[in-house]
Amino acid sequence: MSVTLLKTPAETAFAEAFSAQGPLADVRKAAFEQFAETGLPHRRMEDWKWTDLRQIISKALPPAAGTRADAKAIDALIAATPFADVAKGRLVFVDGTFDEARSTAPAGVEFASIAEAGSDKLVTGSTDPVAALNLAFMSDGAALTFKAGSNVDAPIELLFVTTGAEAASYATRNVIVLEEGASATLIETHIGGEGEYLHNSVTQIHVGDNARLDRVKVQEEGLEGIHLSNAEVHLAASAHFKDFTLTMGGRATRQQGFITFDGEGSESHVSGAYLLTGKQHCDTRLVIDHAVPQCLSRELFKCVMDESSRGIFQGKAIVRRDAQKTDGNQSSHALLLSDEAEFDAKPELEIYADDVVCGHGATSGDLEEDHLFYLQARGIPEQTAKSMLIAAFAAEAFDDVESDAIRDVLTGLAEGWLDRRKGA
Amino acid sequence: MLEIKNLHVSLEEEDKEIIKGLDLTINAGEVHAIMGPNGSGKSTLSYVLAGRPGYEVTDGSITYKGEDLLEMETDERAAAGVFLAFQYPIEIPGVATMQFLKVALNSQRKARGEGELSTPDFMRLVREKADKLNVSQDMLKRPVNVGFSGGEKKRAEILQMAVLEPSLCVLDETDSGLDIDALRLVAEGVNALRSPDRAMLVITHYQRLLDYIVPDTVHVMSAGKIVKSGGKELALELEKEGYAAYAA
Repeated sequence: MSVTLLKTPAETAFAEAFSAQGPLADVRKAAFEQFAETGLPHRRMEDWKWTDLRQIISKALPPAAGTRADAKAIDALIAATPFADVAKGRLVFVDGTFDEARSTAPAGVEFASIAEAGSDKLVTGSTDPVAALNLAFMSDGAALTFKAGSNVDAPIELLFVTTGAEAASYATRNVIVLEEGASATLIETHIGGEGEYLHNSVTQIHVGDNARLDRVKVQEEGLEGIHLSNAEVHLAASAHFKDFTLTMGGRATRQQGFITFDGEGSESHVSGAYLLTGKQHCDTRLVIDHAVPQCLSRELFKCVMDESSRGIFQGKAIVRRDAQKTDGNQSSHALLLSDEAEFDAKPELEIYADDVVCGHGATSGDLEEDHLFYLQARGIPEQTAKSMLIAAFAAEAFDDVESDAIRDVLTGLAEGWLDRRKGA
Repeated sequence: MLEIKNLHVSLEEEDKEIIKGLDLTINAGEVHAIMGPNGSGKSTLSYVLAGRPGYEVTDGSITYKGEDLLEMETDERAAAGVFLAFQYPIEIPGVATMQFLKVALNSQRKARGEGELSTPDFMRLVREKADKLNVSQDMLKRPVNVGFSGGEKKRAEILQMAVLEPSLCVLDETDSGLDIDALRLVAEGVNALRSPDRAMLVITHYQRLLDYIVPDTVHVMSAGKIVKSGGKELALELEKEGYAAYAA
């Protein structure tokens, strides 16, 4: 095993903690070797130039599983989920470990712990170092199978609570399978306590022929927390995938989505919003792989940055030679509320087919003075007018969310953020 | 109600004086019209009254209901009863018209120390006023002015005016872009608001609007000043002879 590259305190801590024993030992060993080839991604790697994990993870955060927090602290964090009344089943993971007592079994779906999922499902061919690190150390997660033709539209929540009781790393992994014709709504909530920690989350998603998945992720990690996530999504024929992410928490966030069209006639809508302040950092990278013809992809991100926060959006679409009649479009829009806030966008198109419609767009700016004046001229005080305009900006990204109840929760979260901003 | 004395206004960004010593007094219950050629400073006057940023008052005063209007913030002016019907109403994507109207009305009521209106009371109020102005429920469901035609935008402005019930209504070229039916409808809406405790300042390029909203006094504005004032017949005179005689 080559560990020569693993030289930062954080990398050294991972190398020292790694042991290829127990179930899935071979899978973990191969994954750790893959991670060790590059170590933590850093700014000299093109895809990571804005998010240098060697700097961000500046000290050792050794892998851990299981919590040292007291029950009261855990209950308080769980109670903080905004989906308490919306989710009809809830699987709770505390500091990387399934907490059965605090979970409510969802109906209509087969649930297994990730450890039972088997190596054939977990080895995905991903070349991402963070996903490899996850596989090497993953402690728990949900394996959900929605049976063919089943209709589970009551939202199921996967709630990941990281207490911050220990300066440690937690790796969780989910495998979500929708068999042919199944449909489901899945919420993924990340809530963190105070204290420094790293949560590395991977979600593998397989949407079968004619199946439909609506996924909503809300990230409210603690303000010292680091959130790294990978969604690896495969879409079969005539599949529908809708994904929305709201990022409000975390000191640093890097979220990646790899979406591959394996079957014709499928659609993928990936949208998201950032509400960032202080020195928060959020970098989203999406890679949409149009491997087959006749598929549609849309990406829309609305990013609000206040104070000296920083947002990044990198969207890449690959249209393979055979992927004729591809319809792809991505856009990112940034609203900068302070002179110190920053936003970078990097759209990339790699098109090898000739009969396709693909586009991208990115804008970045301040609130429109004309809009503000019009609202104030009707008697709306400046701060209220600004909040209305910021909420309207972010809400465009919520429009794609199918469930009214979930959209209301998202609107409430944005309002809460704006109220805290107004009070500041 | 409104007393403007020796008003001088420049653009903040460039050193260019637009209003050059304007005097105007409007009493409660009166309707005044300001006519004048393009570039005479009519729209600037409306923006300065409403409190739009970007204009610098270098001299003179504006007193509104006995208070220094220039000391008031834009939203404070609105709460005190100043309303500008925009020549080009602004489109605001993502902000629903009903929500906008409700926040506006309740912000004003709150600033005046009045209780906020409940949602059902508010809905009833808007529906009643909207019907009279032929503003459809569909328009009210859309974001503020987004996708509205020129005529719809102007009707929406007058609807806002009817809901907010201001004391001083400033109408900036409300006739522009309206066909004759829309003009009549808008004028009816404005006339319905005429009252002994309300004053109106109607800014227009053409006499046509004044056939429908009949003013008590007509002023001719040219090169940043009022150069002539008279009764409503002055508007007809201008229509016949044009503004050439008043060119700067």
